[in-house]
Amino acid sequence: MTPALGPVDLLGAWIAIFLTMAILSFLYGDNPFYKLAEHLFIGVSIGYIVVVQIKNNLWVKLERPLSPWDLVPAILIAMMFVKLASRKLAWLGRFPLAVVVALYAGQSVTGLVGSDLGDQIKTASRSLIVDKIDLNSAPPGELSQVPGVSPAIAAKLVIERTARPFTSLDDALSRPSLTASERADLADERGLLVGTEARAATESNRVDWFGVASGVLLLVALLTGLLYFYFSIAHTGVLGRASRVGVWILMVGFGASFGYTVQGRIALAIARAQDIRGTFVSPADAAQIHGEVAAIVSSVIIVAGIWIWERRRAGVAAPGEAS
Amino acid sequence: MHWSDRLQRFDRRWIFLIMALAIVIPLYVPIGLPIKARPMTKAAFNAVEELHAGDVVLVSMDLDPASTAELEPYYRAVMLQLKRKGVKLVFATLWYQAPPLVARWLRETVDVAIAPPGTPGYEGLPDRAYVRNQDYVYLGFREGKQNIILGMGANLPGVFGGKTDDGTPFADIPWLRNIHGLGDFKLMVLVSAGAPGAKEYVQFAQNRYDLRMVAVTTAVSVTDLAPYYQAGQLLGIVAGLAGSAEYEVMVGKPSIGVQGADVLNAGHGVVIIAIVLGNLAYFASRRRKK
Repeated sequence: MTPALGPVDLLGAWIAIFLTMAILSFLYGDNPFYKLAEHLFIGVSIGYIVVVQIKNNLWVKLERPLSPWDLVPAILIAMMFVKLASRKLAWLGRFPLAVVVALYAGQSVTGLVGSDLGDQIKTASRSLIVDKIDLNSAPPGELSQVPGVSPAIAAKLVIERTARPFTSLDDALSRPSLTASERADLADERGLLVGTEARAATESNRVDWFGVASGVLLLVALLTGLLYFYFSIAHTGVLGRASRVGVWILMVGFGASFGYTVQGRIALAIARAQDIRGTFVSPADAAQIHGEVAAIVSSVIIVAGIWIWERRRAGVAAPGEAS
Repeated sequence: MHWSDRLQRFDRRWIFLIMALAIVIPLYVPIGLPIKARPMTKAAFNAVEELHAGDVVLVSMDLDPASTAELEPYYRAVMLQLKRKGVKLVFATLWYQAPPLVARWLRETVDVAIAPPGTPGYEGLPDRAYVRNQDYVYLGFREGKQNIILGMGANLPGVFGGKTDDGTPFADIPWLRNIHGLGDFKLMVLVSAGAPGAKEYVQFAQNRYDLRMVAVTTAVSVTDLAPYYQAGQLLGIVAGLAGSAEYEVMVGKPSIGVQGADVLNAGHGVVIIAIVLGNLAYFASRRRKK
């Protein structure tokens, strides 16, 4: 028989559901239940941060023998707090800030220059002429880039072509070592613009026109987008029109970002609904928690509480109107 | 009142209610829309599929409870994929909120088999329960953000004091003795909710040590990371809940992610309809005023 959840676990689950409904009550309007949940969250978070940082960060460092170098951060922290004691010596607080700023600036420059500038410029500068992947000669890693070709399929294609070179895409994709589900996956990806037909061939030096068009479009988008932020010349004439294209490119980018943000926010709501339903615990535990019932009871309590609170607010306002 | 004015003065709380219904109803009445993996999700999957038994993989769990909605489905799917490959796993985290979550997830997904032989509805290779300090290690949490990443890159044992979170020395674990820095891992799986996370790993370590990395991230961060995928700095990106659902389908064990993706489609439908109606009302109102 499944062990029953302890009273503390059960209470914890119900409190979590109540607080979820309390937070969601903000969608109706600000109310005391929302404020209660919000303050609880802030208080518990801060308490948790303090304990975790002391346990995992500070105590770990204090447990080992201290060296003279350990005095350096202590002195810097003390210098930061000097300005609380004396305004005359407040200038001492600038040195630790300078150390932190310089440290992060140095790290960021070396990190960002390589990853955000160097590699990105290298990718943007690559040749616009893109060749189709030759199924008869490409290494397995490159074969995996063909739509529908997994590493397992790529390995099989390498063996097949060694036995008998491919004469066409149909020949390659219908070899006997491929399973029915692998053939179905490949059939799904056949397509003229972006699918297997567009990206792969059975001979070398065949131009991938979709790849070329993509490359040109990306280059135009990059240059016009950057041009929008070039303010040394007035945006008129050809430059103005190119800058306008850049604005549209940026708006497409912001739209994509907005779409992903919407997805993220809805995912948060979905997780709360799944949690109330008991998706993340075992069926036995979910049966004991009765999440849906707890949610309904919490909602009734909150709705009733908000109704009473609004009536009391209206009652307090009414005597003033009567006089 | 003209319909466009009525629509523009519509109480938005009705939209909240409709959204709530759009989220709750599909949980009980699944729609079952098909899920097709995007290229960057497939690329992330393929990068893990190329591993062999005995390869050492770092799993950096940089998340908090708020992001589990989007990241947990992928985490569970990739754990199954990694364990059935028989790779050795090294877990670590850079977020202070993560340790209790990591401890629970290790108990639920690594210390036990996720899909033992005979699992109903699963036709792939089974996995097994992993043994701590034999098949996987948990290094624990370290504060320091990119400084820790830089330290891990140069001297990983030094950052963690040469011991795992439970005090076992690295020297006592044979397959860990050859791990001196991030460059010694065959692959890095970044479960990333924000900063420090995938972006910082790319900026401060990938370029320096030529690392192979895949990342799952919350949807809001995908547009920031997409250029890294296009440049090959990240081998693949799994984008939020939708990407996690795609990954579950690819691994062959649909679960909470696929269930969530159904609801996500319904929610997106409500948003799209609201945007279309809002725009129609705006342009109709503008034309009427002209």
